[in-house]
Order: sequence, then structure tokens, then C-alpha cells
Amino acid sequence: MEGTYTLTAPRQRVWELLNDPDVLARATPGITRLVPQGNDTYRATIEIGVGPVRGTYEGQVRIADRAPPERIRLEVEGGGRPGTIRAVGELHLDERGGQTVITYTGDAQVTGLIASVGHRLIGGVARQMATEFFKALERELAR
Amino acid sequence: MVLSKALGARIPRREDPRLVTGTATYVDDIALPGMLHVALVRSPHAHARILDLDPAPARRAPGVVAVWTGDDVRDRCGPLPVGPRIRDMKVPRRYPLVVDGVVRHVGDPVAAVVATRPDLARDAADLVEVRYDPLPAVVDVEQAAAPGAPVIHPDLGSNVCYRLTFGEPVDGALARSDVVVSLRIVQQRLIPAAMETRGVVADPRGGELTVWTSTQIPHVVRTALAQMLGLPEHQVRVIAPEVGGGFGSKLDVYGEEALVAALALALGRPVKWVETRRENFLATVHGRGHVEYVDLGARRDGSLLALRVRVLADLGAYSQLLTPGVPTNTGLMACGCYRIPQAFAEVTGVFTTLPPTDAYRGAGRPEATFLIERAMDVLAARLGMDPAELRRRNFIPPEAFPYRTPTGATYDTGDYAAALDRALQMVDYAALREEQRRLREQGRYLGIGISSYVEITGLGAAAGLPGGRWESATVRVDPTGSVVVLTGSSPHGQGEETTFAQIVSDRLGVAVDDVRVVHGDTRAVPYGVGTFGSRTTPVGGSAVYLACQRVRDKAVRLAAHLLEASPADIVWDGARLAVRGSPDRALSFAEVARAAYKGTRLPASEEPGLEATAVFASAESVFPFGTHVCVVEVDPDTGQVRILRYVAVDDCGVVLNPLLVAGQVHGGVVQGLAQALWEEAVFDGQGQLLTASLADYAVPRATQVPTMELAHTVTPTPHNPLGAKGVGEAGTIGATPAVVNAVLDALAPAGIEHLDMPLTPRKIWEALHAGRRR
Repeated sequence: MEGTYTLTAPRQRVWELLNDPDVLARATPGITRLVPQGNDTYRATIEIGVGPVRGTYEGQVRIADRAPPERIRLEVEGGGRPGTIRAVGELHLDERGGQTVITYTGDAQVTGLIASVGHRLIGGVARQMATEFFKALERELAR
Repeated sequence: MVLSKALGARIPRREDPRLVTGTATYVDDIALPGMLHVALVRSPHAHARILDLDPAPARRAPGVVAVWTGDDVRDRCGPLPVGPRIRDMKVPRRYPLVVDGVVRHVGDPVAAVVATRPDLARDAADLVEVRYDPLPAVVDVEQAAAPGAPVIHPDLGSNVCYRLTFGEPVDGALARSDVVVSLRIVQQRLIPAAMETRGVVADPRGGELTVWTSTQIPHVVRTALAQMLGLPEHQVRVIAPEVGGGFGSKLDVYGEEALVAALALALGRPVKWVETRRENFLATVHGRGHVEYVDLGARRDGSLLALRVRVLADLGAYSQLLTPGVPTNTGLMACGCYRIPQAFAEVTGVFTTLPPTDAYRGAGRPEATFLIERAMDVLAARLGMDPAELRRRNFIPPEAFPYRTPTGATYDTGDYAAALDRALQMVDYAALREEQRRLREQGRYLGIGISSYVEITGLGAAAGLPGGRWESATVRVDPTGSVVVLTGSSPHGQGEETTFAQIVSDRLGVAVDDVRVVHGDTRAVPYGVGTFGSRTTPVGGSAVYLACQRVRDKAVRLAAHLLEASPADIVWDGARLAVRGSPDRALSFAEVARAAYKGTRLPASEEPGLEATAVFASAESVFPFGTHVCVVEVDPDTGQVRILRYVAVDDCGVVLNPLLVAGQVHGGVVQGLAQALWEEAVFDGQGQLLTASLADYAVPRATQVPTMELAHTVTPTPHNPLGAKGVGEAGTIGATPAVVNAVLDALAPAGIEHLDMPLTPRKIWEALHAGRRR
């Protein structure tokens, strides 16, 4: 999965938002809990529906790599009744004329019902969640 | 002497009323007092090490009675049986739950939760916490066989289970051929998807273990359970109640059968497990799954010179009952209907981190028929010959039987050209080719596909199984003259309650309605081998025939004694046994039966009663054959295939009941064309099955099935008293290459020589457009 999204804010401001756990907890669709564990690691609970496969997933989000204020790499590992997810995501932040262009890439390995029943839909769901996330960041910028 | 008109008659299946009115009893219909329910915890990974498995939260859940892991099973149950004994074969031991801490396919069971209700068991199964460390998945059979591949069973050294060859190398003959056709063929994995999933109920009470299981082989399961659980076999009773389809997927001994029995014994209560549809996709065996390399050499005039076949068979992660043996049928039958002077086949069984494969309708023979029939069509195109003519030129002629192929099969009888000619006449082949030429000029894609097949039926079981190439039957006449047949065959849709009654009617003169056929209960029927490999009629039916002969001989002897005549002078017209020339001196069959049980007026040499048990054993398999012709039109804008005609001419020897034969051919053809056009088990690179539901796996619906025009030629076999060959798998074997050949014949003007199955609209559309760019 890959895409871009443009936010009307300087890069440093966007970077700060992306590193604020409270903002992330508010902005990530479906997230019900995000608890810092130290060492750039968070425990997370998230509710996602992939077509008919709905479930709550418990897992861990780790910031594997960061180069402020340009690049951040996340690793996600979790599981729930419908299966397990292992994903990596990377965000690149470019400042262009006072705006920040975020280029994101992601790759996920899924098991269980999410794989066998949800695989046709998972790409679309992920893209929609990314869009919702960035729209929520826009709202955060406006606060 | 034929005593009724029943044999060969179009008698509707007697088992159907209970099936279509919902009064049949399947495993899931069985409910016993105090019965517990099992849910299995299965691996979500194709290959992973179990880091931690914590059953404690599940044990605390409401209604949970027990949670078992591999350690609980290993103490109570031996490994699952593997039937074939192939030289130098390496097979891993498998237990009902993973015992060595490594899961090897998605769906591999790691724990069993037992609760008072099925929903509570499933909820608690979700609470079993398992942490895995994923290992590399091995999904592709060629990569699995290559050096350096991750080894799935480290103790076996490599992923190669066995390598078996048939015939002698043919490199010289191929080099001398004017034309050599070389193909790489993928036989995609298929999912049997029987309408009834598997299910097991075990009851340990009453001094014996009773196990109801949805199986094709109740006696094999009984012997295997006794051995695995260390029980005396006389304390184990296995019942196959109504079985809602199997197609080979229930020709197996499954871990769940032993697990449920072991749980019942340990807990002292009846225990039930019914497979969910999703489990059925992951935990019941799959079929096919080959990559094949074919080289077919011929002279310019079309006469075949040599065949070389290399089969890489994807066995999946473990060996189920017949897993390694199934692909060997492909090597054995690779020559098809043709006199090929030299042939060589090499079959390599390879482990992958996918669910195990095993017998699936045809079991190795559809793969053989497909590869030779596909190669024949490509050869015909290369030579510029008509594919029917190329086949006719190379058929084994009728006078050459019995015929031994270079790969080692001995065909009993056949008249392959007769079946081909009949099929061609039914479609009006010459006119069709003319129409095809005309439509091609208009840019339309009409295709005509021919498939001439020969296959094996009446196969025996594998070397490591308790039964062999035989079947048993008891024919028991009641004192009032009605008849009960106890058969070792175990039907799951074949209709032997009808056909076996027809055999009895033919032999003893009783009405079909006066015969009851009992099967599937190991306490009721004599030890039997089961129902698979199209063996029910040729082997099981022949046992019924032989038992009837014994009853008939005794009835004649008793009638002769009672009528004070010589047995040679007794005339039996179906209604009465009379003295030749004195029609007034006669007894009905029921009167003879009554006298036999009364026992007071019998000759000194005769025991009272009127019943006989027979076992029919034959060293020889029988080889049905036929030709299927399929006519399709491909829409170049959508890639959609429309079947315009489907003609099947099948020769299964003597036909016992044309309605049932037609039913078998119909169902078989549907399964065969489903492989050609729609069905495929699709895995991602991590070994996740992406088609694990009936929404994603394309089992055909009734609206997708074409009208079929059926006919038969009749070439009886000398190897059994009925002269009959099996027909349960013939439709599947004939159909797949007929449909694929038709589609590729349609696409020939676009320069497309071969496409792998399934021939989906997308695949066809992409090929057509790639061809246009060229």
C-alpha cells in the first residue's frame, strides 16, 4: 500500500503531532487504547472491520526508526479472534511551500479469517483508514 | 439364469426419499445424553514454532471440561497410519495434535477444548493463548524440492518424500522423433468441499467404544483406532451413518477421529466434534496439486514414439492415509489410451507447508489423462493433423488386450475407437469443424475439445492398510423370503442400496422392494474395505453376486429335496422353483426359505437357514474408458467460456442401472469442468489459503452446468461376474481435458497453445490481449 496526503502546516508541526501519543490515539481510526511502554513502544487495542470480518486486536506498535522531522518507520504486531497482523509502515515528510506532503508506504502480512475472507478488501480498508487518519490530523492541526 | 428384469433397469435411487425429505441421520444429527463438544485451536501460520501455549484461561472459561495439547495426546494415542509403502519413502509421524512444537500448515491443530456446549467450546478455544515464532513458509512445490529450501521435517533431511519411476528412460527415442511436444502443466490444488463436512461422535459407555464418523472406510477406521488407542479391536465399533459426500476426502483416517475417541475414553462421556466449513477448507485433505513436465515424441505421420513425464506432487505438510500413493497413479496411467512404444514417468512426492493432499475424485488418474490428452492436442496442432485422427491412429486396438503399458498397467479390455466414433457422430464432428471454420472467418472463437480416457477402477487398498483388493457381502434370506444384504462397501452417495438390491433381484427373483441393503456399521456387516476408487459395483457388487449364487445353489438343493427331484431338474422362473416337466410340483422362494429355517425336512448334509457370505477378490483392476467431446465459444471481449455442447460416451462394461450411471457421469463431469474453468485453492506467499470459504472457492452452481448428452458403448470385463467396471470417477477424468482442449482449440487462431487451469475469464482475456500485442 502506498499513497500521499498533503497537510497545510509546516513539517515540524506535523512531526510533533505524529510523535504525540494522545494525538495518535485520537487520530487513528478504531483505536481504543494506546499505552506507552517506553523505548518507543506502545501497547494498543484497536477495533477494525474488514468486510464481514470484525474484531478487536491487541498488539504492539514500535517506532523502529526515525529521522526527525523527515521519516518515521513503524512496526505493528497484533492479533485477535479473526487472525494476526504483522505490518510495517513508513512515513516521509516533505515541506513544500509551507505545506507538508506525507508519502506513506505499508506492507502487512495477515493470517486467519482476515487473510482467507478479508484479503480482497484489506487494501481498500487500509487506504480508507489512512485517509481517515490524515483527516483527523488536519482536525488536530486546527485545534 | 436371470430371475427378474431388475438388472439394467432404470430404477430410481431408493435412498433418495429420506435424503430429500430431511429424515436421514448424519453425524451432526446424533445427540447423546451428557455429550460434550470439542473445538480445535488451529494454527494461523503455515510454518511456525510454538513459543508458548497457555491453556489456563480456556480451562477457566464457562462450561469447559478439559483442554488438551499435544502432550495430552502423545500419552494416549499413537501416530496416524500411512497406507502406501513406497521404496525409500520418508514420512513424518503425525499425531492428532501437534506434539513437537512446530506447526506446518494453516489449520494444523495445536489444542482441543472440550465443553458442555459447542458454542462454549468455541468461545473458550479463542482464549487459548498461543505465541508463535513464524518460520519460512514453503508454498511452491518446485521450490520445496530444490536444494536449499527450508526443510519442513528436519529429521527427514529434505522435503522429498519419495521418487518413483515407471518404465525405462526414453531419451534416445525422443531424440529420434520428428516432432517432440514439451509442456509444463500445473494441476492446481482443489478442495473436495463435500456438502457434509466431517464429524465424529465417540461414546465410551457400555463396555465398548462406539464411534460415528463421516467416513468412506469404517472398517479401516476401526482397525486404525484400535491400534492408535491401544484397544482390543472387538471393543471398537465404527458407524458411518448417512455420509454427505466424500469424493476421496473421507477415504482417510483423521486425527480428529482418534482425538475425539481418546477424549471420550479419558472423560468417560460421549464427545462430539463437527467440522466447521472453514475447518473443512483447511483441515480436510485437498486434491491434485502437481507440476508436470511432459515430452511426447512422434513421427511426422503422427505415430507416437515416446513419452516422458516428470511429476512433482505437492503432498502438503504431512502424509495422510494415502497421500504418497495418489500421485503414483499418474505415472502408472500416463500413456492413456495410446500404444506408445516407450514411456518413462518419474513421480516425486514433495512436502510443503500447505494442508495435506490425498485422494480426490480420480486420485492421480485425472492428472494422467489431462497430461496425455493435452499433449495429444498440442501434437495434433504442431503436425497439422485433426486431433480425432491423431487419437484414432494411436489407440491400442481391441485385439491387443489385455495390454501392458510401458509404465506397467495391464488394461483388461477396450474398444477406444468405438467410443470416439460414437462421440464424434453424436456431435456431427465434420459439420462442427466446418462451422468452426466459418465462424473463425467472422472472428468468433468456437472450440471443439476431445478427451479420450482410460482409467483404473476396482483398485485395492494400499500395502499398509488392513484390507486389500476385495470386498465382502452377506446375503441373508428371511423366513418369509425377504432379503437383507450386509455389505462391506460404505456408500456416501453412490446408490448401492439400489444397485445391490437389483443384483439380488436378478439372482434370487425377489422384488427390489423386498431387499434391504445394510452398510456402514462394523458390528452389523462383515469386515469390508470400503467405498472409493469406483470399486463399489465391480468389487462390492461382485461379492453380492457371489453370495447370491451360494444362496441360490442352496435354495435349489433344498427345493429338490423337498420336491423329491434332482437339483439338476429344478427350474427357477423367478416366481417358483419347479420340477422340470411337472409345473405343479413347485415351491415359491418364500416357501423354500421357510423350510430352510424350520429345519425339520432338510437333507442331512444341509444346515438350517438360508444365508451366505462371500468375498470377491480379484488380482486384476478393470479399466473403463470413453471419449468426451466439449464444444465451447469464447467471448474475446470478456474471456467468458460458454459450453455449447457436452457429449460423453462412457464404457463402464455392463450397466446395472442407467439412471445411476447417468447420475455418476453428471456429477463427475461437473467436478471435472469445475477444475477446468473455475476451482483453485489459492495461497499467498505465506501459505495462507485465500479461498477458504464457499464465497471465494468457486464450487459450481446448477446454473453453470451444461446439458449433457450421454451414451455408452459396452465392453464387459472378464475380471468379475457382473462384467461391470466402475463409473464413479470417469466423468471427472474425461471432462477436464475435454473442456480445456475445447477452450484452447477456440483460442488457437490467437496463437495460444497452452494455458493452465482454471481457465477463468481474466486468464483468457489476458492471453488473448497478450497474443494480439505479439
